[in-house]
Amino acid sequence: MTDRLDRDIQELVVRYRPIIAFRVRKALGAQNTDCDDLVSEILSQVLEKLQSGEFRGDSSLGTFVYTITSRRIVDYIREKTKVMKFAPEPEPFPDPQETLEAKEMSDRVKKALSQLKPKYRQVLYLYYYQELSREEVASELGVSTRKVSELVNYALKLIRKELKS
Amino acid sequence: MSKCQFEDLIDGYLLNKLSERDKEAFEEHYFNCHSCFQKLQERDIIIRTIKSNPALLTQEQAETRSPILETLKREVASLFTVKQLALAGVTAALLLVVVLAIIPRQQAPAPNFFLSDEETVRGSSITLISPVIDMNQIPTSFEWKKLGENIEYQISIFNHELLWKATTRENRITLPDEVKARMIPGEKYSWQVKAFGPDGTLIAVSSKVQFKIAAQ
Repeated sequence: MTDRLDRDIQELVVRYRPIIAFRVRKALGAQNTDCDDLVSEILSQVLEKLQSGEFRGDSSLGTFVYTITSRRIVDYIREKTKVMKFAPEPEPFPDPQETLEAKEMSDRVKKALSQLKPKYRQVLYLYYYQELSREEVASELGVSTRKVSELVNYALKLIRKELKS
Repeated sequence: MSKCQFEDLIDGYLLNKLSERDKEAFEEHYFNCHSCFQKLQERDIIIRTIKSNPALLTQEQAETRSPILETLKREVASLFTVKQLALAGVTAALLLVVVLAIIPRQQAPAPNFFLSDEETVRGSSITLISPVIDMNQIPTSFEWKKLGENIEYQISIFNHELLWKATTRENRITLPDEVKARMIPGEKYSWQVKAFGPDGTLIAVSSKVQFKIAAQ
């Protein structure tokens, strides 16, 4: 019985830890050293609430975990704001270095980017780096919005291919 | 593969362009949708890589080199006789073999460097299995993913400083009673595993994972 419980807990942790970690990093910034602590804390809160029967299945388990995560993040920011007057501003797009896996993926993305044809590189630059809307990219390049979407999607497909190789 | 209607929000979410309402709806969604979360993670890395390396997209490269090569080839062809050309062909083939054999080795994925507290090592990471979450009682054993044969693992447990260190060839270890006696409910601990190859070189390090023992 306890074995089964242990297994369920492991499964839950394996499934939700990355999602919670992603959400926390997005809110606090990957450099924030409190991230790992917060993720562990949220996970144990989830387990505690599950064991005390607080999850009654009114919503999906994912939504239940999402709610606990969001509340804890709001609390964290509130606590920090009290002490520091301003909540720490996360760096918006940190270089992917937080895990070995992220770094490896990023290296593959770099390789794929450097091999793209100029037309794809240009569209990715305008759309992701300069953050222009698809419409703005379209008028910049003198093509249709639809064409922009096609170019972006195809470029992403090429990068994904490199990631999977 | 059918497309999830939320997929179109991935870019907007990562570039912070969504309304608060859409943002929350999408966040709740990716806690429930495995496919969207995977795509989100992948896109996040792609966007952050682009943001950190814009030069990769603005520089002209690769293409510019080939026309020069073409002209060179033509010039070479007009300069030599058939026999010389054949010789050049053989030399070129040899060169190609050398290039094909050596370049890939140089372009192999960069070695992974893993930074721990006191050292930088080349190698991969170790996945810790248990305990990785908060415990109701003092853990009796520690377990991690096996890396291979003939590997010696060194486990360290810390509270504020090193509490215990031991080595084993198994991928788990039982905590001796004297160490257990020194662990206090309510306290936070962390642990880490390092792996050493047969010749004693450090080949992998796990991250430091923290767990708390519930107060009694």
